[in-house]
Amino acid sequence: MKPAPFAYERPRDLNAALSMLAASNGSAKIIAGGQSLGPMLNLRLVQPELIVDISGLAELKRAEVSGSELVLGALVTHADIEDGRTADVTRGAMRGVAANIAYRAVRNRGTIGGSLSHADPAADWISALAALGARVTLRSLAGARTLAIEAFIVGALESALRAGEIVEAVHVPARSASGHWGYAKSCRKTGEFAHALGAVLIDPAAASARVVIGAIDTAPIVVTDAAALFGGRITADYKQRFDAGAANALLAKAGIGDAAQRHIHVSVLKRAVQEASA
Amino acid sequence: MTTIALQVNRRAVELPAEPRTSLADFVRDKLDLTGTHLGCEHGVCGACTVLLDGVPARSCITYAAACEGADVTTIEGLDEDEITTELRAAFTREHALQCGYCTPGMLVSARDLVLRLPVADERRIRVGLSGNLCRCTGYVGIVRAVQSVIEARRARNVAPQSDGGRTVLGPAGSGRAATARNEVRPARHAPAPASEGATPSSIPDFIPATMLDQRFTLPHPPAKVFAMFEDIAGIAACLPGVSLKSPPRPERVEGSIRVRLGPIAASFEGAARVERDSATLSGRIVGIGTDQRSHSATQGEIRYRLLPLEGGAATAVELSIGYTLTGMLAQVGRPGLVRDLAKRLVAEFAANLDRHMSGASSGQAAPAELSFRSIASDVLRARLAQIFRRAFGRGGAE
Repeated sequence: MKPAPFAYERPRDLNAALSMLAASNGSAKIIAGGQSLGPMLNLRLVQPELIVDISGLAELKRAEVSGSELVLGALVTHADIEDGRTADVTRGAMRGVAANIAYRAVRNRGTIGGSLSHADPAADWISALAALGARVTLRSLAGARTLAIEAFIVGALESALRAGEIVEAVHVPARSASGHWGYAKSCRKTGEFAHALGAVLIDPAAASARVVIGAIDTAPIVVTDAAALFGGRITADYKQRFDAGAANALLAKAGIGDAAQRHIHVSVLKRAVQEASA
Repeated sequence: MTTIALQVNRRAVELPAEPRTSLADFVRDKLDLTGTHLGCEHGVCGACTVLLDGVPARSCITYAAACEGADVTTIEGLDEDEITTELRAAFTREHALQCGYCTPGMLVSARDLVLRLPVADERRIRVGLSGNLCRCTGYVGIVRAVQSVIEARRARNVAPQSDGGRTVLGPAGSGRAATARNEVRPARHAPAPASEGATPSSIPDFIPATMLDQRFTLPHPPAKVFAMFEDIAGIAACLPGVSLKSPPRPERVEGSIRVRLGPIAASFEGAARVERDSATLSGRIVGIGTDQRSHSATQGEIRYRLLPLEGGAATAVELSIGYTLTGMLAQVGRPGLVRDLAKRLVAEFAANLDRHMSGASSGQAAPAELSFRSIASDVLRARLAQIFRRAFGRGGAE
């Protein structure tokens, strides 16, 4: 249970980190809080030659509201969000998600950027942020690009990150005053990885809905215009109009062949819808 | 070895340690502070929980090197701590421990709850302690102990501190290192290539531990596809990550396959044999291989069956993939993630095969690593999406 030996570098700034990553030719791994990579290193599932520790980089520890969106640096931790040390433009949605990630000791070190980079399908942020319509900025020595979360997550443990690129910041749009938020997950044990996860952002006033079905062993199902899940249109009585059959069909189409698994996912999504309407 | 300077229990410490040394091993082995216990060593059991810059953290998955300049408090440093003193008395009174192995981590987490929770809510205490496993007590005594300390303190008008006293952003323990000590160290040399002896002499039959079914279609008649499947070198070139060591014969194909799942990468070197039955347009590939780096071994089997589609103009390829994994990599207890990987690989294989059979120049001139990223051209991405829909849109892929 000890990691294989690795070399260790603590770059002084983001550019130095990117240079180290570029020079490593794929043999380096970035570490931030280490709450996902640490276990994999200890189990020797991952044996990088070089670990580049970015956890000290002040430029990634920012949280500021810019226009109508919140910009969070990659090193903001789950506990930072849970405790309200960062501004909140989601009217409590992100605080609620953060407070239920793993355990407090993990939340004190685990970062939002690290969680996204790791792209575990059962993790919270990839689904929650997709439902909130967030975007992620990736940086390499060649420059920066910004992707929607749903375009960033490609599959199980697969993100759109290219060699030499790291997650720099997350951009979260403000949740409108009429936007209802619902988030539910099913874990066999509190704090463990979810087996099913539903996240919804429904705005009856704007007749819009974003729905995410996560923890499906691959990239989450992100429905940016979810009217079809509510009988064709989003109205104030969307809770009654939720169409479990349509959600089931969506899961079947995504390759979830087991009817019992689909039932669990649909039930959890229904809970999220109920929470939003409560 | 790197020199690591930090504060442990209010004492400045400066000691050499390998970068891979966890904070738990650092305090236990170098400072003899053995009150910090190691249970699972991968962040699940909570026995190693310590205070890092005043808040709880897992010392088994936090490397000492990452705590340069940080303020570490182990259970030994909480002797005089007011909350912990009250908790010790409550643990004794409520019989909140038996063997005591989880207790140091439990006390650190309990102290954090006493500090932060406004009231002694049982549910919140249980959730708050869910990251600390105790196999003796059943938690009843522990929960009562924590409840009683919270109640007593709130009765004395000691206000809760919901953020645990932390005021800065970023991972606990980070950001306090003195800057500009980046001497460039040479990276470790890659392990030597596998020895000649890595290739097994026989390829036994086996019963797979894990089975998964996949299906894809090709716009070519079954007979043509079956003939293509006889060309082992051609098929190998279409299989993502596969490279052959020598000219293949059906009874023995030697080579390697590189697989990557997120940060996990392996290269299995070994041998396979190929069987086919022209009467039923079906066949089987059985292989065995080892990954030197992770000391893991695998046995794998792919059974295929070709079925005519569209009146024989196209072919459905039905695959039944079975494998058994032993060693380090077998610890990945998430079969769903492996299924997702298999889906992506089969889609990639199908795309390569179609291209190869359509006579297009092979984009797989050099065997690519098994990575979705390696084939991320937009054209191919669109094409894969199409194949995904065709192959897996029927709900039968799991």
